[in-house]
Amino acid sequence: MALLLLLLWCPAAARAASEASFASAYSSVQSAFVGVHNAEARGGNVTSLVAQLDGALSLIQTASNENSSNPSQAGRDLQNATTIALSVEAAAPSVGQQGATARQAQFALSIGLAAVIVAVASALYVFGDRIYHRLWLRAYGGYLVKKVG
Amino acid sequence: MDRETAGLALAVVTILAVLAAVYPILPANSEQFSELGVLGPGQKIGGYPTSVAVGQGFNLYVYVGNHEGDSAYYQVLVKEGNQATAISNSTAASLPPVMSDSLILANNASTTFPMTVSMNTAGLNQRLIFELWMLNTTTSSFAYTGIWNQLWLNVSSS
Repeated sequence: MALLLLLLWCPAAARAASEASFASAYSSVQSAFVGVHNAEARGGNVTSLVAQLDGALSLIQTASNENSSNPSQAGRDLQNATTIALSVEAAAPSVGQQGATARQAQFALSIGLAAVIVAVASALYVFGDRIYHRLWLRAYGGYLVKKVG
Repeated sequence: MDRETAGLALAVVTILAVLAAVYPILPANSEQFSELGVLGPGQKIGGYPTSVAVGQGFNLYVYVGNHEGDSAYYQVLVKEGNQATAISNSTAASLPPVMSDSLILANNASTTFPMTVSMNTAGLNQRLIFELWMLNTTTSSFAYTGIWNQLWLNVSSS
């Protein structure tokens, strides 16, 4: 009876984290990863988000290792891991949007550059002789032929 | 240089320049794969234990590399089997994992991490099997990659 009372009085954080808490933390990371993966598919730079999520996984692993010896710390680590996962999941769509915008700009730049190259090459092919002769005349047109001897 | 040669040279230079301009928007066409390696206590291929006692912990290192073309969420499952355990590149061993580790790697990244493992069953030619699983983001479930590794051990009861 005394033991039961003691257990009831203990704060929740002092008890070992349950399997459900671990499953919930893993589920948060998994859900965040799906968001990160989608952002990456749109061209977003997800390096930082991936590093944060891997850090969250490390926290869950640490919580698992310390759950029997230091349950309150394990609980805090699980909570931190979940917080990180939620913030990553929230940030992923804007990273994806930035990537999509950058990809569109790159596409326009590449196509524009290719069009300019083709236009310049075509102009050179059609007017190349005329341009060369004009340049030659401008460079050497002032020369006088001198009589030798 | 005659006009034909000049025209040909101009065409070649133009094609090369256009290819360089559109290169950044061409889709990557490289082979996609993941890597799993089990390293000995010295973080090298070799020096693996061959005989251990039941419950005796020993250190190994696990190497995982991601070349899938995008980031990947991996699980390394460690299973304890024997000669009769069936495993292939298409089917994972139908055994419960005795240990697991999860990690997320960016594309073209790799990591090596330590793992302290121990065997629970005594016997000759016991196998410590390492399987690499990866999250399928479409189904939101982990799928066996077909990549696995093993360590043969003689496990004594004491």
